Parts: sequence; structure tokens; C-alpha cells
Amino acid sequence: MKTTRREFLKWSGVGALGTVVFVGCGIPEEELQIQSASKLPEDLVSGLEAWYATSCVHCGMGEGIIVRVVEGRALKIEGNPDHPVSRGKTTVRCQAGVQALYNPDRLTGPMRRQGSEFVSISWDDALNELTSALAGAGSSVVMVTDPMRGTLGLVTDRFMGALGGRRMVHEPMENTVLRTTVKQIFGQDILPKFDLANADYVLNFGADFLSTWLSPVSYSQAYGEFRQGGEHRGTFVQVEPRMSMTAANADRWLYVTPGMEGTVAMSIAYVLMAEHGNEIDSAAANALTGGGGAAALAAFAPESVTGATGVSAERIRELATELVGHKRSLVLGGGSAAAHTNGQFNMSAIYSLNWLVGNVGMEGGVLFNPGSPLPELAGADAGASFQEWETLAQEMHGGNVNVLLVHGANPAYGLPDSVDFAGAMERVGKVVSFSSFMDETTAKADLVLPDQVYLESWGDDVPEPGPGYQTITFQQPVVYPFQSGTRAFGDVVLEVAQSLGSDLPWTTMKDALQATAQRLQAFGRGSVSSGSFDAFWNAMLQRGGWWDITAMTTTPAPTPPKLPTERLAPTIDGPTGGETFNLLPFSSISLGDGKGANLPWLQATPDPLTTAAWHTWAEINPQVARDMDIKEGDVLELEGPGGRSIKVLAYPHPAAAPGVISVPTGQGHTIYGDYEIGPDMYRAKVAAGRGSNVLSMLSPLKDRETGALAWAATRVRVKKTGEFVRLSKLEGVVLPILPEEIIPIAGLH
Amino acid sequence: MSRRILIIGFFFGVGPLVTLGVAVFFIGNAWFGLSIGYQGPEQPIDFPHTVHAGAVEDGGIGLDCTFCHRNVALGAAATVPAVEQCMFCHSQITGEGSDSDTAATEIAILRAAAEADEPINWERVHRLPDHVQFVHDAHIRFFSERDGIAPSAVCSTCHGAVETMTVVEQVRVLKMGDCVDCHRQNSAPTDCAICHY
Repeated sequence: MKTTRREFLKWSGVGALGTVVFVGCGIPEEELQIQSASKLPEDLVSGLEAWYATSCVHCGMGEGIIVRVVEGRALKIEGNPDHPVSRGKTTVRCQAGVQALYNPDRLTGPMRRQGSEFVSISWDDALNELTSALAGAGSSVVMVTDPMRGTLGLVTDRFMGALGGRRMVHEPMENTVLRTTVKQIFGQDILPKFDLANADYVLNFGADFLSTWLSPVSYSQAYGEFRQGGEHRGTFVQVEPRMSMTAANADRWLYVTPGMEGTVAMSIAYVLMAEHGNEIDSAAANALTGGGGAAALAAFAPESVTGATGVSAERIRELATELVGHKRSLVLGGGSAAAHTNGQFNMSAIYSLNWLVGNVGMEGGVLFNPGSPLPELAGADAGASFQEWETLAQEMHGGNVNVLLVHGANPAYGLPDSVDFAGAMERVGKVVSFSSFMDETTAKADLVLPDQVYLESWGDDVPEPGPGYQTITFQQPVVYPFQSGTRAFGDVVLEVAQSLGSDLPWTTMKDALQATAQRLQAFGRGSVSSGSFDAFWNAMLQRGGWWDITAMTTTPAPTPPKLPTERLAPTIDGPTGGETFNLLPFSSISLGDGKGANLPWLQATPDPLTTAAWHTWAEINPQVARDMDIKEGDVLELEGPGGRSIKVLAYPHPAAAPGVISVPTGQGHTIYGDYEIGPDMYRAKVAAGRGSNVLSMLSPLKDRETGALAWAATRVRVKKTGEFVRLSKLEGVVLPILPEEIIPIAGLH
Repeated sequence: MSRRILIIGFFFGVGPLVTLGVAVFFIGNAWFGLSIGYQGPEQPIDFPHTVHAGAVEDGGIGLDCTFCHRNVALGAAATVPAVEQCMFCHSQITGEGSDSDTAATEIAILRAAAEADEPINWERVHRLPDHVQFVHDAHIRFFSERDGIAPSAVCSTCHGAVETMTVVEQVRVLKMGDCVDCHRQNSAPTDCAICHY
């Protein structure tokens, strides 16, 4: 057969195309290989998985998790089905824990600052340097940590006690107001268990309990029970200025003027006393008003508060009727309701309603937690209030702090710029960071002693809020340290304590934990009990902890305190006039207060309502946006008090109220998450330089009573910058196929 | 009119040719790719199963299969031994003075890997596609219980007399027909999800 030139070209084209098309069909070479590991311990079988129970440190709630380990590598995290708090479920933050373990940004060993750079040093040198710094520092040592309950908290507090220094707990979205309220209204030092599961009616003022508030895992499960578990579906009303994920799930969402939540609650209390006097707990009503009855709360009559709160008198009456119309009603409050200058007033008013409906200490109401089974292990580790941070920063500026130790916290990022914590750190003699990663605070440190991540180290935790009975979660190393040059913080503390001559009875964290376990074993009760310590220890690690479902609280409920009789309006700081909005920061469900920002899985997790990810966006009312000619993706400058501003992407949100603008926390890191991910054309750093940190621009206003940061009390002016960045979001990525657009196949015949 | 053109185009057009081509490629690839006699690419070490597993009278040392593939009766994967495990013996046996010319050089590769704490990447000879799950322990348990034989005596049912192979090769087709035949003969389930999950 004669081949023409034309045919030859045609067939060679087909051949080339075939080569290109089918080259991907072959089996990749590495899949045809099977690896003999260089070392394989006898109890480690390749191809077989092992699940170890431990504790999640990411979420800060002491949740029990189980980790799938294959050939010495931690691969997957799930909730521990046995554990009373997590009950087999986890938050997205726990799920991403393995990315902290394998993170390319992990520090590999101790470092010392030389000029503007860090140089690696040996552990001996690092420990000597830390010991001598502490030995010469006297009592002006401050340690900043994340909440540390359990044995690590005990060890650290004993260590700081021996030094004469103090430890401060940093929570960027602090719970100070909630804690003070729980103390004042219910007389409790430990957060109670709000028994959502057995309630019939829930009235919630701003607590986003399905995504970030306290313990979303346990509340989400309780919420399922509340809606579908009982004989009838529970009714749920949310009163909040922003539509959070929790509000989106409610039967009704009521917009309230920011900071006026307490006034609405007081008005409901007034209606309950004035119109439902025989349906409420009259003893509680007497105590709350000092015997004055409804007349004492006359300032809160529904008609007179309507204008200020934005909630109509009929609505308020309706809420009051519903509260007493259900058998078991529960009232919750949190989030931005607590983050105002009148936060304490708001929260007391809100939680007092529980007294009026008579659910305190009752099923389906407010149940008290017994806290820790061992008195020396704290059941709560309260965060320092913003006022205390300002004081600390002043002390540091004044050169009164010789040594600053930082573990698990990132105050240089999490505190508003008005505090200038980073600047204050420069005036401290020696800053020592125990972070596993380079972050904004660690970058300012003089000495870095990297900690192991929680999957590699020992620990325990007393979950807070607990499940209503005594519980301790144990944390065991599930893998060999991935970064062998790191050392567990607890071990380092104990080693330094020894060289300083303190008389702490333990030498390693494992010792301290075994001492805790021995105390638990001596009880002879609870989920694990055994005559032999080894058997007890192994069974407890296998189970993930120790709990005793019969060990409930015995503290009787106190008498309710007297409510204020005067109205208290919030102060909002910032520019006024046209194009200004009340800024409502909200805790990101994935990044939290910024700690999760260096994990790509969390960055890529879309926000449940807007489906946005990878950015800092601002939820703005669509009508207002149209009037201001703002479209989705327009870069807005939010200018707050003191000239501080951030840049965010606009997201017109159908459920955003006209007067507010909501911005998620967690982005805007400068140093944290400093490695590149993604394919070439989208290659970018995982967190550093991404988005904006809304916490940095907040006004330094505080709650009047507790000194907590009023993080919802900032007003901003919105300016268009003229720039545009496409907002990455899931919504609208896949076009819906409408039924009529499908071409009927029958048409072919 | 237009319908006829569509039908003709559908049956005789370029589309079916391309489809056929793709199908022939995949079937051919599956049929001739890995089958009886397949030995895989060259292994990093010329490992002689004859020496290790071969009968003593044939000059081997007669190790059971499970002596090295120790987890085959425990889980899905047969597993190759860790370098550390090879070194249990080969820390002493260097192959120097052996009557084989290659023993010393090949064992040296193993010892170098152990010295450097590095893995060895063997070339896989028996491989099933990704959409098939094969669980070794279930099969071994069945045959060893039914026939009352040691687990290591079951291996040859599918892998042949590996102890006589200098270079391991595939002796069974190990395609779906082969699996299903054997499952039918032994009254094992033939539900799709037994293997495809």
C-alpha cells in the first residue's frame, strides 16, 4: 500500500495523540514497588492499623479522640466513641491535628536569637540558658499559656509557684464574662452543663454553640437530641445581631441592636413577672428583684425598650409566653452579647431568666458540673481579662518583667494592637517561647525550646465544660516524635525545676501522670478500676481516660442575686456618621482564634454559611452594599478607632443586618504558616500574609465590671479601595442543572 | 432525515472507533501486562527464594514462608520483612566464601542498606488493580483449616512453588475469572462487594 505524505502525517498525528492520551493509563512505577522498612518493631505490623485513644489539644475542650496509626505514622483522627464529651465525634480542628504533626514549618530544635536571626543550639545549652535566666530573674517571671487544666497545669503552677512568678492564660475570645456570670448567678467556679438535649425550648442570645462556643461537639450532639431525640421537636429561638450558623438553624432568628441583648432579657423578665406571675418561680423572682416584683424592673417594660433594642414589644411578650409555655425551657447567652462594655450586665440578665423558669439544677436546664475528681488538678483554667493584659504590657514596657515564658499562646497576634504586646516584648530581659511553630510571638523570642505536638507527648485534661460528672481525659504519645529534636514542654519544665533545686516530686511528665493515675486508682470507682496499677494504667490509656458517671455535683444551688434596675447601654468606640458600621468579629469555625491557620485542611474548610475559605471577608447587607456600589470581592478598608484599619473582601450576605459588618477571626498572620502549598499557578503561603487579623484593630474598650475585652464594641468606617480579589467560595462553583434544561434522551429515536 | 444521519453517525462514525480503541488498549494492557510468567523489573537485590525457602535436600535451608512474611496470616498485606529482620541472620552471614559467585555482592547491598538505615524498594511481582481488595489472612485461614495444613503450606495454592524459583514469577492468571472460579469451587461468596469495596 502506498502511503501518501498526507496519510503519513495523519497517522503519525494519531500516534502522537495516542501516546499523550494513554501515557497516563500505565501503572506508575512507584506503585509497582513494595518497600521493606529499615526497622519495624515487633508489635508494629505493616499493613495493620492500630487505634490509640488520646486527647485533642487543638480544640481546647479536652475531647477524647482516637488516632489511626499504621506503620508508626498517625493517619486519621476520629472522636473517641467511649469518651463522655466527644462520644465518637470531633470538631474540624481535631481532624486536622495530623497536619500539625507533619507540618513542614515545625521547629526542629532549640534556637537562640543572634541579632535578627535564630541560630540552632544544643538542648544542654538551651536548658542552661533558661535555667540561668530564671535563677537571676527573681519573682518577675511571667508565663503566658493557653488554658492548661489537669496535670500539666499542676506541674506548671507548682513550677511558677516555686519561682515566685505568675502564670496568665490567654484566650483571644475570652470567656471572662461568662465565668463571672456563672459565678454570680449560679455560684459556680466551673462552667455548668447546659442540658440542651433534654430541653423543650431554647432561647439563645448570641452563643454560637453549634460552631465555636465552649464545646461545639457536645452541644451539636445535644442539639440533635433536642430536635429529634425526644417525643416532640424542641423549639429554638436565637437573638443575635449576626446570623451565625447556630442562628441559621433556629426556628426564629431575631435581630437585636448589638449590646442590647441584656435589655431584651430584662424586658422578658419584666413580662414574666408582670404577666405570668403564677407560672414562674416566685421565690426566684423575689430574690432577683429584692422583693420588688415587676415594679422593680419597670424601666424594662417592653414598649419602652423597643426603640433601643430593635425588638418589638409583641416579640418580647411572645418570647416570655413561650418560655413559660414549655415544660423545660433553657436560656443561653454568649458570643457578642458578652463582648460589650455592658457584657456583664447582658449576661447576668440573660442567665437570670433560667431562675425565673425554674430550670436551675433540673434536667433540661442548667446542671452544675462537679469539676475535677482530684482537688489539685484544676477543673477550669480561667483566662486573664483584657485589663490584666494591658497591665502586663505596661509592666513589660516599664522593664518590670525580666523573663517572659510563652507556651501554647500567641499574644503578639491575639491581643489588639492598642496593647502593643510585640513592642512590650522588646523591653523584656528574656523572652522564651515553647512553641512548636514559628509564630508572631516566637519570632520576638530570645530563646526557643520547641515543644512536641500532642500526638507525640504525655498529658491529661479535665474537660470543661464537663459532661455533668467527673471526667479526666488522658493523652498518650501515639507515635514516636516526628521531630526528634523537640522536647515536651512538661519534661522541660520539670528538668529546669530540678536544676533550680525546686522540690517537685516528679522528674518527667509521665511520672506526674502516673501519680495522677495512682490517685484515681485509689478511688476504686469509675470507668476503670483495678487492683493492679499496671492493669489500671493500661486500661485507662486504652479507654482514653477515666470518668465516673455517678460522680455528679453535690453543691446546692445558691439563691439568685439581685438584678440591676437601671438600664445600661453599651459604649461603642470608633468613627460615626455615614458609611460606618458596628464591627462584629466572630470566631472562625475552622481557624478558631488563629491557632489553626497554619493547617491547610482548616484553611480550605469553608465557612458553613458563606462557604468562603482562605480569606478574611466581611458580611455586609446586600442593599447597603448596592447603595455603596460594593460587589462581592471588592477590597474594603475597615477603618476603626485610633486610625487602625484592616483590609477585607466584601461579601454581601442576605442575612446581614444593615448596621453591622461581620468579620471572621483567624487570618492575617505575618510569620505563622510560612510554607507554600498548592500547584504552581496558585502557589501561596498557607497562612503568612493571607487575609487580615480583625483582632488587631479592635478598640481597647472593656467590660465595665470584669475588664474583659469588649470585642464587639468597635465601630468602623467602610471605604472602597478600588481593588478586587475573587473570593474563594464553594457556593456557585457548581452550576445547578435545572430539570427543563436536560435534553430528553427519547428525542434520539 | 436528521435522525437517520444521527443513527448512522452514531454506529459508523469516529466515536465508536475511538471507544473500541480505548477498550482494546485497556483489555490488552490488562491481559498482557501482569500475567503468568511475569517476573517484574529487575529487583534491587537478586534474592534467591531457592536458598531461603528451598528444601534442605535441594541445597536450601527450608524456612517457612511465614518465617519472613510473618504477618501474612494476620492481615490483608503479605508484607515483606523489614531490613532489620533480614539482618537477624545476615549480620553474621555475609556470603563470603559461599559457593555462589553473587552471594557476597548481593548481601553487601542489604548490609549497606541496614548500615545506612534505609529501606529497600522491591519490585512487586503479584499485583492486583486498585479496585480489587485481596485479604491474605482470610484465604490462608480457610485453606489451612479446611485441609488441616500449616499456614505456610497454603501459599503455593496461588503463588506456586516459590521455593524452586530463583526469580519469582506469577504462576496463576490472578484475574477476576480465576478468583471467581476458585470462589465457586469452594462455595465462597461471589458478591461484588466481597472484593470490590
